[in-house]
Amino acid sequence: MKPYVPQYVGTVTKYVFVDSPDTTPQDIATAAYEIAQGVMIKETCFGCQITGSPEDVERIISHLRKLDPYRIYVKDRGFPPGDARRCRADLGGARPGYLGHEYEMGLVRYIAYGLQETDRMTPDELRAAAGQEMPTPDALDIDILESLMREE
Amino acid sequence: MSEQPVRIAQITCGAEYSGIQNEITTAAETVGGKMFYPDVALKDVKRAYKDFGLPVKSPDLKLAIARAQAIVEGRIEADGIFIASCFRCAEAAIVRNELRRYIVENSRIPVVSYSFNERTGSSTLLTRLEALTTIARRRSLMAREVQVGTTMGVDSGSSTTKCIIMQDNEIIGTGWRPTTEVLKSADEVVALALEEAGLKISDIDAIGTTGYGRFLIGKHLNADLVQEELTVNSKGAVYLADAQKGFATVIDIGGMDNKAISVNDGIPGSFTMGGICAGASGRFLEMTAKRLDVDITELGALSMKSEGGEDVPMNSYCIVFGTQSLVNALAAGYKREDVAAAACHSVAQQVYEQQLQEVDIKEPVIMVGGSSLIQGLVRAMGRMLNTEVVVPHHSQYIGATGGALLASGFIDKKKEA
Amino acid sequence: MAKVFIYPATSLILSDLVARFGHQPLGSAISIREHIQTPGFDSPPIQMTSEDPQKGLKWAAVEVPSGIRGRMSLYGPLVEEAEAAIIIDEPDLAFGCMGCARTNELLAFMLREKDMPRLELRYPASKEEGVTFVAQIKEFLKNLEVQQ
Repeated sequence: MKPYVPQYVGTVTKYVFVDSPDTTPQDIATAAYEIAQGVMIKETCFGCQITGSPEDVERIISHLRKLDPYRIYVKDRGFPPGDARRCRADLGGARPGYLGHEYEMGLVRYIAYGLQETDRMTPDELRAAAGQEMPTPDALDIDILESLMREE
Repeated sequence: MSEQPVRIAQITCGAEYSGIQNEITTAAETVGGKMFYPDVALKDVKRAYKDFGLPVKSPDLKLAIARAQAIVEGRIEADGIFIASCFRCAEAAIVRNELRRYIVENSRIPVVSYSFNERTGSSTLLTRLEALTTIARRRSLMAREVQVGTTMGVDSGSSTTKCIIMQDNEIIGTGWRPTTEVLKSADEVVALALEEAGLKISDIDAIGTTGYGRFLIGKHLNADLVQEELTVNSKGAVYLADAQKGFATVIDIGGMDNKAISVNDGIPGSFTMGGICAGASGRFLEMTAKRLDVDITELGALSMKSEGGEDVPMNSYCIVFGTQSLVNALAAGYKREDVAAAACHSVAQQVYEQQLQEVDIKEPVIMVGGSSLIQGLVRAMGRMLNTEVVVPHHSQYIGATGGALLASGFIDKKKEA
Repeated sequence: MAKVFIYPATSLILSDLVARFGHQPLGSAISIREHIQTPGFDSPPIQMTSEDPQKGLKWAAVEVPSGIRGRMSLYGPLVEEAEAAIIIDEPDLAFGCMGCARTNELLAFMLREKDMPRLELRYPASKEEGVTFVAQIKEFLKNLEVQQ
């Protein structure tokens, strides 16, 4: 086996997703480039990926979140952007994790609404809202999947 | 390699997390293939899962179903398909088996199915992936049904080395030796076959090699064709059994591993290769013969004196315990012929349980390789499958015959050159 | 700031909400990053080798399939590190690291076994449920601060 010498040691990579009528993925990438100061930014179809020291990445993300607070979502990524081991172009197809993102991106509009509403709540109201029961997912599998499919 | 790589669709669950993804990729590249993930979207997964109707729980298996469907429906092109999942995962085994069946029934794309663990290395995968790339790349060569000119096939197996010389669609020379040193054994069988045929090596128009030692002897003999035994043996089997058209199943219980190949028009559609332990191999029968103090060539006749030996307690799952069962059975007073038949039954049962579940059994069932000469084993397999098993003439020379047959495809090329 | 294990460990939504409300999400990416940034033998794509399923023996026995043990070698250390957990039941369509139902069952069990604050809920299917979903997570994470 040949030895492996890792690149970008000590960096973190984060995905920034946007799902908004007001902000496009390109807006996000442009805003990130403006304050990048050498931090690696990669524009993607859903927003961008940022790779750098944890502090630098956090600085840029804090700024980006302000652009559309309820509709920008951030997640850690194990790989640096464009890594051939994970790149669709090299694998012939999307890595499995992509489909998981696709699934959750179909739900983030509910999250955006939830974030917006809970932001306006007093602590008591929040506690009351958190005390609400979500209906038990008896017939979740097929029924909800189908309704989601119809909505799509 | 100057040729375009053969595109092999990877439909697996657990390979990356078992730490063997690189082994798969490496094995494919070694044989001129390239693994790729069939690209599907989430909606394809939801649709495929619903269409297929197998309610699995693991998301990656749902993804596997969608990937297979995308290929079968022609939305994604692939030259071959590699389906694999973790050894001992029941859920994945069900999916793997059903997907293989679905692909074979609905497409002409060759498929190999395999279960791995973290110890699976690229060398284990090599022959299987080589067979996939061969089928994809050499379809026209594989279509050959008649041998022409004077050709030689050499099969360098783990137990024995065989040579066949053919001329104008007839076998005119044979050579057979236990494998000791790979090259020395090959030279010996070639000399034997040439002598029987009354020819010199310079009379041979083309040479094909197969088996474990194929690369080494291929280089040594300057062979025209060096090809893995899965495709060569299937070709040899349907040729000798006169079953070149339509479906057939080829079973080859070898010295080190077993092959079960589902063939359509002489080309393997799906196949498995393996054997968890030597208990399910020809090696166990050699041990049995030794313990019963008969030559391996007499074991078949001895076993046929028995009704089948099914009542003799026998565990051949492991060669060590299997041998212990032999000793116990003899000590308990069972007759030698019953013990011989029980050993045959046990090997047939292991092959049935471990391998024949992974291919579709379609008649005729053709048994080949040295072990097909042990009548008790053929009888046991026939009873297991409830069919009359076909053992063609020269069945122990199947790889060598396939090699000689396919090598004749190179004669024209040489003349053109 | 608490270390909160997110389940599905690949969840964008949970990762975002946990970080947004001031805590550290522990998920697949953290372990994968460690593999990708550690020198060793080259084993693309995720730099896992046969050693990893062996390490997984700490959490799953040898008769458990290698893919489960390999995945557990990613998750086991994170579960040990975790101070709280948020679990979304039935991650039907989380693939890759969360692509194996058997691993997911074992992982959820380990999270439930550990003596730590835990919130269990499911994905919202409407705007109203979105409010409940976010409120429950926000409240849960706020209470973690108080406990700390």
